[in-house]
Amino acid sequence: MRKPRPIVKNILEYIGARCAMAVVDSLSLPAAERVARGVADAWFALGRSRRRIAIRNILRAGITADPRRAAAIARASFRHFGYILAESLKSGEVFTETNWRDRMELQIHPDTMALFETPDRGVILVSGHFGNWELAAQLLSHVKPLVGVTRRMNNPLADRLVQKRKPRNRFSLTPKHDTDIRRLIGTLKDGHILALMIDQHAPRERGIPAEFFGHPASTHRSAALLHLVTGAPLCFAYSVRLGLMRYRLVAEAPLTFTSTGDKEADTRCILETLNRRLEAAIRANPEQYLWAHRRWKL
Amino acid sequence: MDTTAVLERLREVMRRSAQKTLDWEHLDADTPIDALGFDSLAILDLLYDIQQAFGVSFEPEDLMKVQTVRDLAEFLGRRTA
Repeated sequence: MRKPRPIVKNILEYIGARCAMAVVDSLSLPAAERVARGVADAWFALGRSRRRIAIRNILRAGITADPRRAAAIARASFRHFGYILAESLKSGEVFTETNWRDRMELQIHPDTMALFETPDRGVILVSGHFGNWELAAQLLSHVKPLVGVTRRMNNPLADRLVQKRKPRNRFSLTPKHDTDIRRLIGTLKDGHILALMIDQHAPRERGIPAEFFGHPASTHRSAALLHLVTGAPLCFAYSVRLGLMRYRLVAEAPLTFTSTGDKEADTRCILETLNRRLEAAIRANPEQYLWAHRRWKL
Repeated sequence: MDTTAVLERLREVMRRSAQKTLDWEHLDADTPIDALGFDSLAILDLLYDIQQAFGVSFEPEDLMKVQTVRDLAEFLGRRTA
């Protein structure tokens, strides 16, 4: 059982998060981005553990074999994370229901768009920690209501703060490891998008080893099982940051798999197909991926 | 297949699929599925196994109507009739 976090730590983190939000709120978008870059650079310089993880992951994924190039990508990835954090916080000031398409290019496969435009058709949307996943989900909810499956933060105070700030438009959240399966299935029944991330390490009892950049990575099984059980189409989607608060949202063609009776093989086949889609997106813009996560922890 | 036969078979599938120990002999057909103590992933595992055992497919709306083990057995009974 996990040791409870010290209350003082939770309070200090909460105060830090409140202050950061207040600073970002008070700045213009370009100024907020400059601050985010400075903080990201400091984090990269001082956060030895995360920096090492990121560089090691980039080398392991084969993005480059040159450690100096890997370090440069890792640094850019930290900056990217700073930018998207700042942009997510500022997004409420920039995007409205009528102007969001001015800053978000849509590259949605026609078959997927047809599913999005069919009111009673639920879709399982799968993505990774690439581009600006949260902003993309919020804006995609203008096309079709979207429920994101999210992990609660370890700090309950910070979690409440973030949960309060995140939901916008027709975007809502549901906790990962929810004991009520009806919340997930109900989303699909209501014809909404159920969005899940597949690139976080899954504990042994919840995951299955699936190849990611040629190495087995314990991957959450829920997206694959939900597809096999409900028959709701699967769609891989991601966003790419093009510049200051400018993005492209890519939603690929829907995928459909049939059960063979071998649950493990079926699940692995789906997850590895989705992992390959994510790998392709990452290879095109490796600096936009969150590398500082122990993805290959077994 | 009548409901009693489906229930018996369902109990067998649940016993095999479940990763936790339940008192299967005393499992009441009117037990709400939620009360079995499965989390969402365990229920998805179970539904996959039920689909394979009974050769049926589920629509999200079918699953939303199921509240108890008996509801599930009756649904499967109709589908396999």
